[in-house]
Order: sequence, then C-alpha cells, then structure tokens
Amino acid sequence: MTAVRRWQIALIALGLAFFVVGGITLLNDVNPARYIGIAIWFVGALVIHDGIISFVVFGANIVMRKTGGRLRIPLPAILIVQGALVIAAIMTLVVVPAALKKSIGTGNATLLPLDYGLHLLVFYGVLAAVTALALGGYALLRRGLARAA
Amino acid sequence: MPSRNPRMAVVIGRLLALAFLVCFGTGIYSHFLQDPLPWMVFPTRPLNLYQVTQGIHITAGILCFPLLFAKLYIVFPELFQTPPVRSFPHFLERASIALFVASSIVQIVIGLLNTYQWYALFPFPFRQTHYALSFVIIGSLAIHIAIKLDVITKHWRKQTAASVAPVASVAEPVEAVADPTIASALGTLTSSPARNAIIRAEGVTGKLFAWIDKTPAAEPRTSRRGFLTIVGVASAAVVALTAGQSFKLLDGANVFGARKQGVGPNGLPVNRTAKAAKIEALATDPDWVLTVVNGTMSKAYTRTDLLSMQQYTVELPIACVEGWSQMASWKGVRLGDLVDAVGAHGGTAIKATSLEQNSSYAIMHMGAEYVRDDLTLVALELNGETLDLDHGFPARMIAPGRPGVLQTKWLSTLEVLS
Repeated sequence: MTAVRRWQIALIALGLAFFVVGGITLLNDVNPARYIGIAIWFVGALVIHDGIISFVVFGANIVMRKTGGRLRIPLPAILIVQGALVIAAIMTLVVVPAALKKSIGTGNATLLPLDYGLHLLVFYGVLAAVTALALGGYALLRRGLARAA
Repeated sequence: MPSRNPRMAVVIGRLLALAFLVCFGTGIYSHFLQDPLPWMVFPTRPLNLYQVTQGIHITAGILCFPLLFAKLYIVFPELFQTPPVRSFPHFLERASIALFVASSIVQIVIGLLNTYQWYALFPFPFRQTHYALSFVIIGSLAIHIAIKLDVITKHWRKQTAASVAPVASVAEPVEAVADPTIASALGTLTSSPARNAIIRAEGVTGKLFAWIDKTPAAEPRTSRRGFLTIVGVASAAVVALTAGQSFKLLDGANVFGARKQGVGPNGLPVNRTAKAAKIEALATDPDWVLTVVNGTMSKAYTRTDLLSMQQYTVELPIACVEGWSQMASWKGVRLGDLVDAVGAHGGTAIKATSLEQNSSYAIMHMGAEYVRDDLTLVALELNGETLDLDHGFPARMIAPGRPGVLQTKWLSTLEVLS
C-alpha cells in the first residue's frame, strides 16, 4: 500500500467520523421537523449557485469575450472590467441582505446602523473610478510598449 | 486552460480549506465556551482572546464568499461530466461533492445572515444547525482531499513548463479518454493523477470555455494572474470593509459591517435590548436586589449597596458571538468579593440568573477561572456612565475572554456551586 493510499484511507475515515458527529449533533440538537427546512436550503443553494449564478457568470463571460473580440479589446482590459464586475457582484451579495434587513426593521438601533444602500452606491462609484484608472494605466502602458517596440 | 486548471484549483482550494479550518477551530472554541464539557477550563488571558477568535471566525467566514465562488468557478465544467454517473463509487464521489458544495454555501450564507439577525429566513435553529454543518463540511473536506490527493500533491508546488506539459495534454479530450490510466480509473474514489488533473475540456461547456480562453488569444499567464488578482482584490475588499466591526484598526473602513464601534447606548452596540428581553419593568423596579447564595447563606444587595462596596474599573472588550466587539471601560464590584461575602472559599464556580425569562442564556454557569479573576466584575457603570438598561442595568456580569451571551445582563441571583 502506497503512502498516498494510506493517507486517502485515513482522510476518508476521518471524514466519515466527522459525518457521524455532525449527524448525531443534528439528531440530538435539531427537531426532526426542521430537517425539511435544512434540506430545502441545501437544494436551494445548489439550484441558485449551480443552476443560476454559475450560468449568469458563464454567459456574461461569453458575452464579454465576444464583445471584446469584436471590438479587438486586449485581454488585460477585458479582465480589468470583468474583475470589477465580479468584485461588485460579490459585494452586492454580501451587502444587499444587510440593506434589506435594515429596511424591514431590526428592532435594535445598533444592529445594521449604517446606510448600506448608499455605501454600496459609493462603493460602485469608487470601483468604477478605480477600474477606469486601471484601464487608462493599461492603455498608457500598452502605448509605451508599442512605441518602445 | 488559463484559470481553470488543477494548479489553480489547488491554490484557491487550500486557501479555502484554511479558511474553513480557521472557521471550524474558532467556532468549536466558541461553542465549548458556551457549552463546556465538565472538565473544561478556559484561559482568561489575553483579555481580547475571544474578541480575536470570534472576530477571525466571522471575518474568515466572509472571506469564504470570494474564495468559495472562485473555487466553484474553477471547477464549474466538472458539473457537466458525461455520463453524469459512471459507477457507484463515482456516484458517491459526486454526491459527496454536492453535499460539500451545498453545506458550504448554506453555512456561509446563514452565518452572514445571523450577523444581521435575520432569523426569519431560517426554517431551522441557527446555532445548532451551524454547529452540525461544521462537522459535515470538515468531514466533506477530508473526503474531498482524499479523493483529490493525487492532484493536490502533484500541483502543490508551481510546476516548471516541462512538468506542466503532461497536464496540458490531458486537457485535450481525445488524448484524455485515450489514456488507459484515465479510462481504468474512471469512477473510482482514488482516480489517477492524470484523470484527476482534468478540468473538463469536452462537452458544450468545455468547448465554450476553450473558446473563452482563446478570445482574445493571450498568454495563459495573463489570464491566471488576472484571475488571482480579481480573487485577491475581492477578498481584500470584503474583509477591509467589514472587519472593522471586530477589529478597531479597521473601524475607519467599516462601511458594510453589521455593527459600528461607538454606536449604541453608553457608546457600545447592543445585541439584545431590554425591550426584546421583556425585562424593562423588572429591571427598573426600585425593589430590585441582587441575591448572592452559598448553600444556606444568602445576602441581598440593592444597587446602592453594591455601589457602596469597593469599586473597580477594568478595561474589557464586549465580544459578541456574532463577531462584533468593542473595548469598553466597566466599573463595579469584583465578583470574587461578592462570593467571599457569602463564605465561598478558594476556587468556586457560580450560576448566574438573569431577570430575563424564556432565553437559553437566562441562566449562565461560570467556572472558577473566571469567578476568581480580579477583572471579573458585577458591572454597574459602563464607559463612565450608569449602565444603560439595554446593557444590563441594574447590574451585569463582565469577565475576560467570554462571549457576550455569557456576560449576563439584568442579573437577579448569583449562586455559588459546591
């Protein structure tokens, strides 16, 4: 038996042991009536990520590359714009629930005390400005390299 | 294959695994602080120990968002394996990954929503589910590492151009399928390095990704660096703009955190208000007393009695299980003095009861390491002012290194345990 195989067996055994602990914890601490709720969240997570978000990202990637190709935009410039969109999307996913919960009401003025919607708009603005600067910087660099060549 | 290659899966995967392990370790510590096993004794120094561990727990949890999305993006084409299931072991492998992905997403999302106290979205109890899922995730991680161990060891270090070549060749679908080591290993839990090295290039998705990768044509290095830069900047942004709720150093940049340092009565955020705890009338009752009991001996202290005792001022953080924390100045009576007054000697544990009813934290147990710590107070003042009702007026507990939920507010009785 190779060392790799031994590690694999040990890791799988460890993983199964953790499953047992997790399962026992679930059985002991969570009312079985709530299991369906957990299952719905699990299925929902897979559907939303694998079925929706992944395809939106995939589709956006194709559209951007297609547009970039048609307009002969160099890859670094596309990546800068894509990067900005990805960063904006991730921040949106984290912050929008905060803004929504705040609008629904928290019953505690110290919970979610900030203006998350406004801050998110400012974040988008700063991100757009940084993206524009990065694109400008890349254009200058590219021009300089072209001249040097 | 610029960014969706085994090396990138390993690079992002180990960062994500590290974040998961950090979350697990800090989470377990927080869990046992709240539900200790009988033999457990906890350190009371450094003073900001729990502030740091729980701050890291929540910050690492937020960091998991960009890392998990990046990892899933890298392996996205794997979703479209054809046929979807080749054998029973292959089914188990795919099922384990589905469980791993689903539990990871659910875990970080409910963790985030918990910091917003958006419990209405959970058709299950948060704390118990979060705790149970942590074992499912770490178990899934161990199994996932076992299945991918060949790839992980092969791509742990950056490879030279010469050594990368075989991996590049298996990215070609025809060669990959023709490779007998791959064919023989299909569907097994311990598939060959070559089989594992594939981030699928076949099928419609693979072809579209291949088209993406060469539109426009560029050095793969550009794409890989671009991808890592995006992940790095996204990670830095989510951490820098939220972690100020836990770490004062980043308070100035905290524009998205669920809490803001200095915001709240006595200049401190509140987790559970007096109104939510339904204790306003009881806590403001002029007849309120703090009863300290040791066996048959019992003493009752009015707030005036407590204020007339030797007062101590300590600087201790209030550190919430939800991750936010803030240093504060507390003034009050040493808990040790109160238990001494009812004849307790040496190391002794106590049970503290709040005026609050119907809360799992209404009764709190405290080990001797905290009871006998000179910094543990029954606090009467906070940041130079009378303790606000929302912060536990007329008296609350404050001890070093404990979660906020155990810093019991609206104290009613303290009972020395034999």
